[in-house]
Amino acid sequence: MDKIRVLLIDDEPSFTRMLKLSLEHRGYEVRVENNGAYGLTVARDFLPNLIFLDVIMPDVDGGDVAANIRSDPSLKDVPIVFLTAGVSKETTRAKGNIIGGQNYLAKPVTVEEVIRCIEKQLGKKTAAS
Amino acid sequence: MPAKSQVEPPGQDPQMVEAGSRLDAILRLSHDGIVVISLDGMIVAWNRAAERIYGYPAEAIVGKPLAVLVPPDRIHELSEIYPGVARGDTIENFETVRIRSDGTPIDVSLSIAPVRDGRGRVTCALAIARDITPIQRALKEVAQSSEKLSDRERMLRRALLALRESHEETKSAQLHLVQAAKLESIGRLAAGVAHEVKNPLAVILFAIDYIADTMPSPDENTITALTDAREAVMRADSVIRGLLDFSTATELTTTAQDVNAMLRRGLLLVRHALTKAHVFVVEELEEGLPPAMLDRNKVEQVFVNLMINAVDAMPSGGTLVVRSRRDRLTEVGQEVGIRKTDRFQVGQSVIVVEIEDTGTGIDEACRSRLFDPFFTTKPPGKGTGLGLAVCKSIVALHGGTIRIANKADGGGARATVVIRSIRSQEGNGDG
Repeated sequence: MDKIRVLLIDDEPSFTRMLKLSLEHRGYEVRVENNGAYGLTVARDFLPNLIFLDVIMPDVDGGDVAANIRSDPSLKDVPIVFLTAGVSKETTRAKGNIIGGQNYLAKPVTVEEVIRCIEKQLGKKTAAS
Repeated sequence: MPAKSQVEPPGQDPQMVEAGSRLDAILRLSHDGIVVISLDGMIVAWNRAAERIYGYPAEAIVGKPLAVLVPPDRIHELSEIYPGVARGDTIENFETVRIRSDGTPIDVSLSIAPVRDGRGRVTCALAIARDITPIQRALKEVAQSSEKLSDRERMLRRALLALRESHEETKSAQLHLVQAAKLESIGRLAAGVAHEVKNPLAVILFAIDYIADTMPSPDENTITALTDAREAVMRADSVIRGLLDFSTATELTTTAQDVNAMLRRGLLLVRHALTKAHVFVVEELEEGLPPAMLDRNKVEQVFVNLMINAVDAMPSGGTLVVRSRRDRLTEVGQEVGIRKTDRFQVGQSVIVVEIEDTGTGIDEACRSRLFDPFFTTKPPGKGTGLGLAVCKSIVALHGGTIRIANKADGGGARATVVIRSIRSQEGNGDG
């Protein structure tokens, strides 16, 4: 059985490194991209089942990256979960709604929460297709 | 011009001569006009002062009717006064108006007495006329200036009142500005701090989870260390979240809300804490409250915060009273007034929510700092000191007030939240 592929787009190397380690330990295949501007390219190449995307990155806005990914035919159905550190849950919810009703996780988050989130997103997707 | 007395010259009796001379002197020197009037109303004699007052020389007026001097609208005075004088009456200081030769009216005070002959019969009348025009004018001027002074005093009072009001308004606007600037800078700081701190916290939390996950058989101390570390991260996170709540409590999404339903949901959210602390709940919710325009999440957060504070104040159990009622503001009081800048206006309908505990009450020294950010009396790790600051900010954004005081009987504290109900918001139209 193929592993579930998770793409992490976040500018914090220590954060993505720890999350990658934790998820790989739980049996996921994880690709990391610390430069948001390359997010779309890596996503096209990796074709993940799910993307975790940081909202605030130095050179690019998470919302723009999400919009680009969403407009790519090969990626348009891949769930995107926003990871946020700088804003409150309410603001993120509002922002997520603008981008298209995506889910979000507020940092700091436990590995259990991340996994629950993945299962929920992919379970939903399976049920929907 | 010498006085021309028309009094008959006396006889040769020296006494009579002297009396006549005395009378002449009086007539000549008197500052009051002296006029002798015959019983048929003709002027018979006229002294120098009368010439000055009325403007007629004696030769021009003697032999003319007295009515010449009387304005048409006062001509009736003649028939009211002189018949009485002819019968022997005396009139003193009768203030009236007469006409000068040039047609100008003058104010005069008249004293009129009958003149009798040797047998006591009234033969003519003697009128003394005092020109009181300057006095009357002065009196009028005094009255006018007194009126002007009163006007000015009224104007000054109005100006003072307006000045006081505008001073109050300026003060209140300045306070609001300072408060808004404070909130804005705290908000900016909070967002920056949150971003910088939440990422490292997330890394630490993943690391803890990873170590816990991958360590083959951790001993008891390692498990304790990992648990403590995880709790420490959560505590730090709750401080950051409090700060973010505080800074984002500036935008509201309001809808018509049932305050009682919100209080009941709040009680549900804290029921675990209530049971754990052996706190008994008394609900005194007035049914049929009018709805209020509120941001449900934020105001529920206020109610839950106040309930948690109440529970924390009763570590060995007690009673939590949650009360709601409607009220109409009838009197000017703290934050209730008639000016636009007052938070509430007299006559407004409001909803009052009270959350009471039977705990230790509030220390006098703490009272003034209750709503300060980061002020807390709770033990380390228990409170961030942001709860009440957030509550106050949320309630203020809704145009309401929040007050916390010890109960009158001294057995605990009471938090009172006052918010406008919808009816009142519509009725006043002042938002």
